[in-house]
Amino acid sequence: MELTRNITLGVYLPGETAIHRLDPRTKIIAATMLITLLLFIKSYEAYGFFLIFTAGIIVFAGIPLSYALCGLKPMLPVLLLMWIFQFFLYSTPDANILFSWWIFTATDAGLHMGNIITLRVLFLFTVTTILTLTTSIVNLTDGLESLLKPLRKIGLPSQELVMTMIIALRFVLILAEELDKIIKAQMARGVAFDRGSFIQKTRKLFPVFLPLFINAFKRAEELIVAMEARSYSGGKGRTKMKTLHMGRVDLGAGLIMLLFTILMIYIIISAAPQI
Amino acid sequence: MSLSVRKIVISGILGAISILLGVTRLGFIPVPTPAGHATIMHIPVILGGVLEGPVVGLITGAIFGLFSFLQPGAPFFADPLVSVLPRLFIGIVAYLIYVSTKNINNILALVLAGAFGSATNTALVLGMVTLRGYLPFEVSLSIGILHGVPELIVAAILTVILVKGIQRIRTSEDRPPVS
Repeated sequence: MELTRNITLGVYLPGETAIHRLDPRTKIIAATMLITLLLFIKSYEAYGFFLIFTAGIIVFAGIPLSYALCGLKPMLPVLLLMWIFQFFLYSTPDANILFSWWIFTATDAGLHMGNIITLRVLFLFTVTTILTLTTSIVNLTDGLESLLKPLRKIGLPSQELVMTMIIALRFVLILAEELDKIIKAQMARGVAFDRGSFIQKTRKLFPVFLPLFINAFKRAEELIVAMEARSYSGGKGRTKMKTLHMGRVDLGAGLIMLLFTILMIYIIISAAPQI
Repeated sequence: MSLSVRKIVISGILGAISILLGVTRLGFIPVPTPAGHATIMHIPVILGGVLEGPVVGLITGAIFGLFSFLQPGAPFFADPLVSVLPRLFIGIVAYLIYVSTKNINNILALVLAGAFGSATNTALVLGMVTLRGYLPFEVSLSIGILHGVPELIVAAILTVILVKGIQRIRTSEDRPPVS
């Protein structure tokens, strides 16, 4: 059971491409735009353009395709199952019935809904993975902090919230290694995690979770001491050693993103009547 | 509003555990139903609410929700109204239940906090799924019963075990080294 192998979230692949050199703010805004567009896209043509666009970014950023997609592997069975669910159970009053069997009725509306939602999931996954693969944690923090700074004015502790998110992202990998050790230790003692009924399997997880949570809380206490010893105080009066600068690359990327967004909005609006 | 270092760190680490349970699929307990898995990814959120209060519960819930939106395990989670919004309430409900029943019996309060926290997740997520029209009401209801009940039982047991374990190391650390 190699747990850390399929984790691509929060992993950074260092590189020298233009995508890597982009200002983190440009990348975060672009990713947010892409995610927002995904929520509205309902036609296959739009997904076609989206596929070309994301594939272009992946190639341009020099990310090995197998690596970008390996995080998807554990999700596939669930995705397939949910697609079948949508196919058979979702329907609208005016949908054409493709075939029916026992209590299940497959309609073209269900097929469309299943396809669209599954595609949306796949692309959401790809967009966030590309963002974290090409942006180091430090850059991601700086970018988010600078983008969310205006929210401080309405009383939201934006810097602290960004810090929380970064701690979460950073600790996923640390805790994954720890979880790996705990599971191996239990297996060495003869626990077979993949055997037994549902109740037996669940019971076997309890001696894994307890050490995981206790270790996590011990690490949390250490981190609290470390941060307090360095007088961490969130956003108040903090300055940066390295400030962010937008350059010519960002202008280019911004223009490409703008064109793509306009194209997408055009497709979404022109396809609006048929849902 | 300002956040103490303690709240920042604990919400972050509990959020990390929630994400970890998701990416390793360890947070999905195989239940013999058509929809596949019951989740225990919301347990860190319940713990956050019980151990550190509503703010940590809220932030951990937000991280859990954001993660299940960005790396969805099921298609309908690719909608922030389904994945993020309902999760904000898990920690708050767990906290309120724990605080209001703590004086009767600590263990009972933990069981109830775990159970109600889990029920909040099931009810609100499936409610949103139905409202947004991803699944018809009958299907949501049957998933709610088939998944919600095992999730609720596992959550109640795990909350007691984990909170007791964590409270024990905390009290032993507070004690002076020579006693």
